[in-house]
Amino acid sequence: MASITEQSPFFQQRRARGEVVVTDPPKFDLDSYIGNYTGITRIDRLHHIGSHSPYLAADAYRLAIAEAKHGKNVDLYTTLVDEFSNIAPQDPAALTDVAWAEKKTRETQQEQDRLEHELKSYKNNLIKESIRMGNEDLGHFHYDTGDYGSAHKAYMKMREHCTSTKHLADMTLRLVNTSVTQKSWLAVQTNLAKVEASQLKGDDKAKLEPIVSACNGLAHMAINNFREAATYFLKTSPTYLTVEPAAGITWQKDVISPNDVATYGGLCALASMDRSELQDKVLGNSEFRNFLELEPHIRRAINLFCNSKYSACLEVLEGYRNDYLLDVHLSKVLGPIYSRIRTKSIVQYFIPFSCVTLDEMASKFPATGYRIEDELEEMINNGTLDARIDLVDRLLISPPTNPRHDVHSDALAMAEKYDHTLRLRLTRLNMLAAGMEIKADKGQGEKVVSGGMGQTIGEGLRGIGQRMGLS
Amino acid sequence: MAESLLQVLLQFQPEAPEVKQKRDYDQAARNFSAQVSNISSSHWQKGADTSSDVLTVLDPTTNSIAYAFALRHRIAGIVEKRNVPDTLKPGGALWNKLVKFLEEFDSVQMRYAGHEWRKLVDYVEQIARVMGSPGLAIAPIRSAMTRLDPTTGTFTHMHLRFMELCMETRSYNAAQEILDNYIHSIPTKIPQHVREGLEYSVPCADVATSGEYIHVASGHSEKVTLSDLQEYYLLGAMAYLGLKQFRKAQQMLEHVLVVPTANTANGFMLEAYKKWVLVSCLVHSTDRAIPRTANTVAIKQVKSASKAYEALAEAHAQLSNLSKLKVQIKYGAEIWADDGNTGLVNEVLVSQMRSYVSRLSRTFSAIPVSNIANNLGETPDNIAQYLENMIKEGHLNARLEQSDKPNTGAVLRFFLDPSQGPLAKTEKQQQQVLFEQTLRTNMLAEQVKDASYRLTLTKEYVENLKRVNKKQATGGEAMDTAWDDGIDAEEDIMDDMH
Repeated sequence: MASITEQSPFFQQRRARGEVVVTDPPKFDLDSYIGNYTGITRIDRLHHIGSHSPYLAADAYRLAIAEAKHGKNVDLYTTLVDEFSNIAPQDPAALTDVAWAEKKTRETQQEQDRLEHELKSYKNNLIKESIRMGNEDLGHFHYDTGDYGSAHKAYMKMREHCTSTKHLADMTLRLVNTSVTQKSWLAVQTNLAKVEASQLKGDDKAKLEPIVSACNGLAHMAINNFREAATYFLKTSPTYLTVEPAAGITWQKDVISPNDVATYGGLCALASMDRSELQDKVLGNSEFRNFLELEPHIRRAINLFCNSKYSACLEVLEGYRNDYLLDVHLSKVLGPIYSRIRTKSIVQYFIPFSCVTLDEMASKFPATGYRIEDELEEMINNGTLDARIDLVDRLLISPPTNPRHDVHSDALAMAEKYDHTLRLRLTRLNMLAAGMEIKADKGQGEKVVSGGMGQTIGEGLRGIGQRMGLS
Repeated sequence: MAESLLQVLLQFQPEAPEVKQKRDYDQAARNFSAQVSNISSSHWQKGADTSSDVLTVLDPTTNSIAYAFALRHRIAGIVEKRNVPDTLKPGGALWNKLVKFLEEFDSVQMRYAGHEWRKLVDYVEQIARVMGSPGLAIAPIRSAMTRLDPTTGTFTHMHLRFMELCMETRSYNAAQEILDNYIHSIPTKIPQHVREGLEYSVPCADVATSGEYIHVASGHSEKVTLSDLQEYYLLGAMAYLGLKQFRKAQQMLEHVLVVPTANTANGFMLEAYKKWVLVSCLVHSTDRAIPRTANTVAIKQVKSASKAYEALAEAHAQLSNLSKLKVQIKYGAEIWADDGNTGLVNEVLVSQMRSYVSRLSRTFSAIPVSNIANNLGETPDNIAQYLENMIKEGHLNARLEQSDKPNTGAVLRFFLDPSQGPLAKTEKQQQQVLFEQTLRTNMLAEQVKDASYRLTLTKEYVENLKRVNKKQATGGEAMDTAWDDGIDAEEDIMDDMH
């Protein structure tokens, strides 16, 4: 079954475009995984899995199509069905339910007309609260039909009609959610900052805090700021597990699940922190432990890294590579995260040694598709690893240091540089004192002057240049 | 009459007890040269080629002033006709006297006879040029310059002439001696009341720097202009290029780039910038930063006029793509030829290979030659030969050895510890170099002080000072007259090194 789907035109096209296709079966169970999510993200994740993993494609698409049919987003439904028909044309779910689509389109159009009409009458009545609710309803509607741009606009319009801080916060959270769905991370960050700056007090504020930090972490991770992402994830309070829906959104189901917080947080921390930091801030963090317990293998990987068992750590992570590639948020940043963890492991591994054989390195850090010495060469060249390679005896050598010699030569280099700078200044000072200055020729444009002069002088000096006989 | 002329000429005896005091010496020398310059030329011609010839009686080392006048008049008398008489031709009696004088004159006396010094040096150049062998003038001129001013750091028109001679005859080595002494002063107008009558700044004072006795009114130099200076630096840079001293060439070129300007560039700057971009590739410096004092607008102008060179430098830095530079060089062949930079561009190509190998030393401790050859698409033998040369010329702290392993062949092994290998310096050597550097820097600091002092003598400064004083008197805020406070901070760093 899997091999047939793998050869289907859909996946062949994806391969041709150089996109990721995960052929091996992942470790997770689709039903229990997707059970963690509701709403738009559920379809989004199913869609991601279906389009990346031939193994799970059929199941994922079937679930996604069924889900889409409950909603109002006709475009999404037709896209899903189109794609699925390229994978498994015989499947009953791969046939477009034209009647439903037409009926739904008509219904949504009517609903939109109704909502816009209502909003208009509210506006005529000038009742703030009604206008706000009208806008909100319109926003919900656009969000459901998949028109996120309009949804964003409708929510924005609520702002001037908000009368309480709670309304303001709800509106901003709605905007955050819409931006997350759109995957426009900068908008997510700005809106989160607004939530943080809101004037909510006491319980209300405390309730929002875990949501804000989890979303902040997500936004930072998506734009490759792993260090900041890790910090935000790590300070997410365990109340996130049980937090009540805010602004009508069940964040841990509609946006990111606690399992995601653990995985994302753990990986970002591994990619950006050194051993002692990992020990203190991740393993020793009693709050984050609640999350880590959900994903024991992440905990194991961090433990291994802290205990200097880098190859075992990488092995664990490698085992889960397929799972993470099927995660809608992780798949894009997984490459950089993994390569950072690997580079860091190599650097940390090499610190206590003065000399390691390349074969030992290769066995500790198995490389696929390239040679370990090429990777090490790259790392040395870009300055991440302070070492030298001996290609003859196949060794990685830590270069001896001679601070005394270095200080002397540094001092000398600096003195020479200073000397030269001073001479240049002296020349300039002398010229100024003698009243020498290049003046712009007023008759012609400046450009013409420099170009023209350059040519004539160039001609004058050409002979000398050639006679110098520098061959 | 001949006797009386001699009497006059022998009046001034620099060793005499009356002129022990520097001030008296100054006065006497000044009067003497004024008196001698009033003697008409017909007097000088008398007694020529006899036993009482002034040129035989006078001693060029002790009676330098008189001798210089005599020599000048004698030459002026016979050189008037177009062709050079035999006696003045190189090897002739008068030529020999002239050369001998320029090598032996008393440097303190010649400070008072600037015009004669200049004329005599000019004669040497003219004669050599007329004879079609300008190279003959180089040595006498150089000794005349160094004798007058051992630092040769006060710029005269002679500097430029000398450099032109050297470039024409390709005597870069001869030029180096003068070039290594950087220019620390430019002849300026020193007000008369400062020039005369001050005990410690008379021209004959032992401590005098050349900037104090070579000035606009002293007659040693024709009026020098900014373009003279720029040309001198540019030619100097080319001489260093001829000697393959690229770092010094780069520094010379930077002098051309920092000249004060009213937001506009001239042709010298353009030329200098083009060469500077290329030379920067050659010196392996990691930062290719224009000196901070350069005028940014002017630099922008020359930059926009030398795009081809910038592209070349960029290609040079791409060590992973060696063929790009070759293509660029080939593509711009006409540009380089037009600017007379073809030789330099070829040198850049050669140096890229060197940069490639020296980058290897930062990554590898040992690498088989065959690996390098593979990467460069050359035969291992060629590369081995090339590396051997690089090590010999001191570009690489490494050694080539034969590996005992099969199929490896020759191996390039770098010395990881900077205190080992052929290029290593012992601590003593390093200290010696540091010590010399300290001396140089201190001297430079003195010269900066001098320059600064000269600046205080200008009208503009005095006027500014007046304004400031006025302001302070009326309770206004003091004006910041420091021309650059960056220097002071750096000077402190230097002090720590002693």
